[in-house]
Amino acid sequence: MIERAGSHRLRALRSTVLSTLACAALLWADGALAQSPEDILMYRGPDREQKLIEGAKREGQVVIYAALIQNQAMRPIADGFGKKYPFVKLTTWRADSEDIVQKAAAEVRAHNVVADVVEGTGAGEEAVEANIAQPYYTPAVAGFAPAYRNPTGLWAPTRLSYYGTAYNTKLVAPDKVPKSYEELLDPQWKGRMAWRIGSATGTPLFLTNLRIAWGEEKARAYFDKLKDQKIVNFGAGSARTLVDRVIAGEYAIALNIFAHHPLISKAKGAPVNAQVMDPVATTAATMSVVKGLHHPHAAMLLADYILSKEGQGILARAEYFPVDPDVAPLPALAPIVPKIAGVPENFVGPDKLIKYTDSSEDIYQKLFR
Amino acid sequence: MRPVSFPSSTNDHDGWARLRMSPLVALIAAILLILILPPTLFLIDTSLHTTKPDGSLGAFTLQYYRQLFTSPYLAASLRNTVIYAIGSAVVAITLGSTAALIVERTNAPGRGYAFLAAILSLGVPHVLYVVAWLLLLGRAGPVNALIGFIGGAAEGPALDVYSIWGMIVIEGVGFAPLTFLLMSAVLRSTDASFEEAAMMSGAGPLRVFRAITLRMGLPGILALLLLIFIRAFESFEVPALVGLAGNVSVLTTDIYQSSKNASLPSYGESGAYSVCLLLIVVLLLIWHHRLSVHARRFQTITGKGYRPRIIDLGRARLAATLVLAATFVLVTALPVGMLVFTSLQPFYEGLTAESFARFTLDNYATILAPGAFRDSIANTLMLGISTATAVVPLTALCAWLAVRRRPGAWLLDQIATAPLVFPAIVMSVAFLQVFVNLPIPLYGTLTSVIIASAVRFLPYGMRYAYAGVLQIHEDLEDAAKTSGAPPRLVFVRVVLPLVAAALVSCWLFVFLLAVQNVALPLMLVGPGTEIMAVTLFDLWQNGQVTELAAMGVLWVALMLVVSACFHFTAARYRLGV
Repeated sequence: MIERAGSHRLRALRSTVLSTLACAALLWADGALAQSPEDILMYRGPDREQKLIEGAKREGQVVIYAALIQNQAMRPIADGFGKKYPFVKLTTWRADSEDIVQKAAAEVRAHNVVADVVEGTGAGEEAVEANIAQPYYTPAVAGFAPAYRNPTGLWAPTRLSYYGTAYNTKLVAPDKVPKSYEELLDPQWKGRMAWRIGSATGTPLFLTNLRIAWGEEKARAYFDKLKDQKIVNFGAGSARTLVDRVIAGEYAIALNIFAHHPLISKAKGAPVNAQVMDPVATTAATMSVVKGLHHPHAAMLLADYILSKEGQGILARAEYFPVDPDVAPLPALAPIVPKIAGVPENFVGPDKLIKYTDSSEDIYQKLFR
Repeated sequence: MRPVSFPSSTNDHDGWARLRMSPLVALIAAILLILILPPTLFLIDTSLHTTKPDGSLGAFTLQYYRQLFTSPYLAASLRNTVIYAIGSAVVAITLGSTAALIVERTNAPGRGYAFLAAILSLGVPHVLYVVAWLLLLGRAGPVNALIGFIGGAAEGPALDVYSIWGMIVIEGVGFAPLTFLLMSAVLRSTDASFEEAAMMSGAGPLRVFRAITLRMGLPGILALLLLIFIRAFESFEVPALVGLAGNVSVLTTDIYQSSKNASLPSYGESGAYSVCLLLIVVLLLIWHHRLSVHARRFQTITGKGYRPRIIDLGRARLAATLVLAATFVLVTALPVGMLVFTSLQPFYEGLTAESFARFTLDNYATILAPGAFRDSIANTLMLGISTATAVVPLTALCAWLAVRRRPGAWLLDQIATAPLVFPAIVMSVAFLQVFVNLPIPLYGTLTSVIIASAVRFLPYGMRYAYAGVLQIHEDLEDAAKTSGAPPRLVFVRVVLPLVAAALVSCWLFVFLLAVQNVALPLMLVGPGTEIMAVTLFDLWQNGQVTELAAMGVLWVALMLVVSACFHFTAARYRLGV
């Protein structure tokens, strides 16, 4: 009896093993037919778009974590994308770059990946540092200036930011406006200038920009003089908030703010203006694809769309600066674009931002805190 | 065999009750621990390890503690922090207690509106509250303009709000509504017969206040002091927005300024600071526990008719109303008025003559653009309601067990108070790690946000409930027990109705805190689940101050509607809010 039962069990086991093997073989065949996510992301064939659409139809959705303003930028992008690819449901999550990468990294480590694509200023290189970015190919960046592009394909630039100073026009006479970094050393500005701390694109960027453009020695000599100006360290609150403080007359000048913000307020009649200086610090917001993503086809369609002329146009209308040279920025904001203003720009790319931020932060701690 | 010594107290519970209650305490302790241990362990872990770029923990290190204690700014920051904490506690308690005393104990006309005013100011998100005060007291603000007008043009602003006094005033005034509500809960349930007896014996009102009212309410006041003190030690908005700009550094901003790697996550230093704060809080709570060993002395709701009687102020009634009105102006009307004014401006340039000619509704048009609040309001209300509904009964039970000194119940108070010191960012990252790794699919759901939010606001519920329960004399429960009611029934039928008023205010309070919290839900909520806080976040990141103000005004209006509905519902069931 016992033996019987044993052989019976053995037979059952054998059939289980066989059927498992058969299933595995089928799955393997299926896997060989369908491509791995890596293949899909890097695919360059002429039928790329067709393949992506077919795959995206099966996937049915895509998830982006983005630092884009929800109402003016992300919704129009979602609407446009939805019209073009109605079979893909786009869901978004909005936070700032640091949180975006934190959340995506936590998902990757827990093998519980929700995000397909991440976007934000600093998001690209942070994703690379956190080892959650996966290389991808998109033909959309072909027309972008080579300086803005990443040769490894770990990120692509989505929008640009230009930095300058904001000044209160009631507190700073037109002939007194500092037009160069040297003129910021004028004693009349002592204690009347502020800059934003606590963000990589705040004080560290201001210092990094000059260190790269001028070299360490010249930059250091300049910082030694600048420290006597007793710049106010503006904590918590965005760069936009700092501009609002300049408008309110709390500070005469704000350094290293987004140069287009004063223009938006100036158009409403606010006593404020922007000044860009040689060299203008420029940064790019970047987009990466997350390792272990579930919707590679749809993710590629989304990346293509955001980088397309249509997507870049939407971003431009939301008061961002497009990377695509064929898409014009809003006319009201154009005056601070370095190319249009005729002022040289210094593109502090994601790699440089990562490389220099810590040491610039050290300089800040030693001299300006 | 040595004789077993029994506690001599006649009020001690019999062994039966002890056995019956202990499992309950153990059960609640277990629930609380499940909720609170993960973020606590994460906090301790982050303080002892470096953080890698992907947010995981690296090598073991003591560097964060070393940095904390060897910072060249430590002495100055610590001094500032203590001054700031004491100062703001004094401001808050003075304002809040005075108002509470007038409202609960006198017949000053119009006192009923004080609650509405308190709720109105609790509805203003804290960050916006600080911004409103900065607009008021700033260099271009109306206060400086007024001083300049009276005193003539002087060099620079007459009042520099970016200073330690500015921080104390803004934080203290901001906390006044909370102290008012908590003190009202204390006073409402204090037996007035002692005060009357004192008055009959010829004591003046001040003497009565000092010798009776203050003493009777001492545990409640101390608990409140503790809360404000700890809050001030871990507060960030006021130190960052007010202090940093004036170069006044406190411990939290010191850490903020010292955490390098602005581009990559680093929680080590704030983790180390929070662990130190946690230890301090435990010590303070043990001290508070010792103090309320004699809690029975303060129990004022006894078997006798306890409802406090109102003191007739006579002619001083109007003066009391004026004091209330002045408090209202300071705490609520000025900041909210400033928000309203700013929200109607195309840009904020101070309260100038020209600015009155520039009123516009553009900001409201921007805020109310189609789709801006799609789905978010329902989610937000859900978050607030669920959080408050989860927190209130749990803390009421904990507080009752703790006050009645059920075996081991003192632990409940300790555990439930711990989240008070968790920095919002560390807490949200901790919960992110927990939920994303859970085998059950909670990650990204509204439920996960509610759980985290409930943990975050447990301490507030706890202090509120504690103040309420502390003053109920055991006689009432004993009477019920003697009549054969089991403990469960005693709690539901005797304790709950007596503390109902305090709990109803507590619910509303937790609700208001939960819906305006930005940092915590942001990190936990999944794509597609929008909560109002995200719209607020967008504005905070990119909005102009005028748009932010418009958002604030709408928010306050919404909260007012919610609170009013709540108020009337509660009034119908005779639960004063």
